[in-house]
Amino acid sequence: MAALSYREKTLYASLVVEIVVYLPYFFLHGGNSLNKVVGMIGAILALQILLQGLIALITRNRMTDERDKLIELRGYRAGYLTFATLMLLGLGMLWAHAAAGRLHIDGRMMGLHFLSVFFGMLVIADITKTATQIVSYRKAL
Amino acid sequence: MAAIKNQIRELRAAREMTQQDLADRVGVTRQTIIAMEQDRYSPSLETAFKVALTLGVGIEQCFQYDAQGKR
Repeated sequence: MAALSYREKTLYASLVVEIVVYLPYFFLHGGNSLNKVVGMIGAILALQILLQGLIALITRNRMTDERDKLIELRGYRAGYLTFATLMLLGLGMLWAHAAAGRLHIDGRMMGLHFLSVFFGMLVIADITKTATQIVSYRKAL
Repeated sequence: MAAIKNQIRELRAAREMTQQDLADRVGVTRQTIIAMEQDRYSPSLETAFKVALTLGVGIEQCFQYDAQGKR
């Protein structure tokens, strides 16, 4: 296996940060709260700045080229398709539940509930994007 | 099998050039040179010309198209 390029190192760091911060948020707590969302975004930003700064410090050659750009585009395409698919599925489920009269959401929490679901879709799309880019570096283009 | 084959490794070795040397002269990363040598990446036309020019050969001596190969 060839030594990792600057872009690959930053991608691995991003994936680790995303998993370390997002997974506990989505799976280890019961309710939604604005404080938790803000805390998570703060944690993501702080960890990303710290890790990306460290990688930039220890990597002398930070050059990127056409292959990096192509892989980046592939990642964004995969992320967009994931997001669009999840949005369609989510809207479809919402419609199905509403049509069956089984949609019971507390009016006060509705905004936060939908924001949380929307954010969850963004997170999954973001992780898909990063994972696709990592895989693309190891596969033939 | 890749559609675009190349002789970069052989041509580079004949000139006692490292992957990093070639990458620096062409303006790509060493990982891209490695991917090209392993037929895992087909470069843009511009990069292909730069590689051939750097190795001092014509583009057809460096890169060959295989119609039976897949992209």
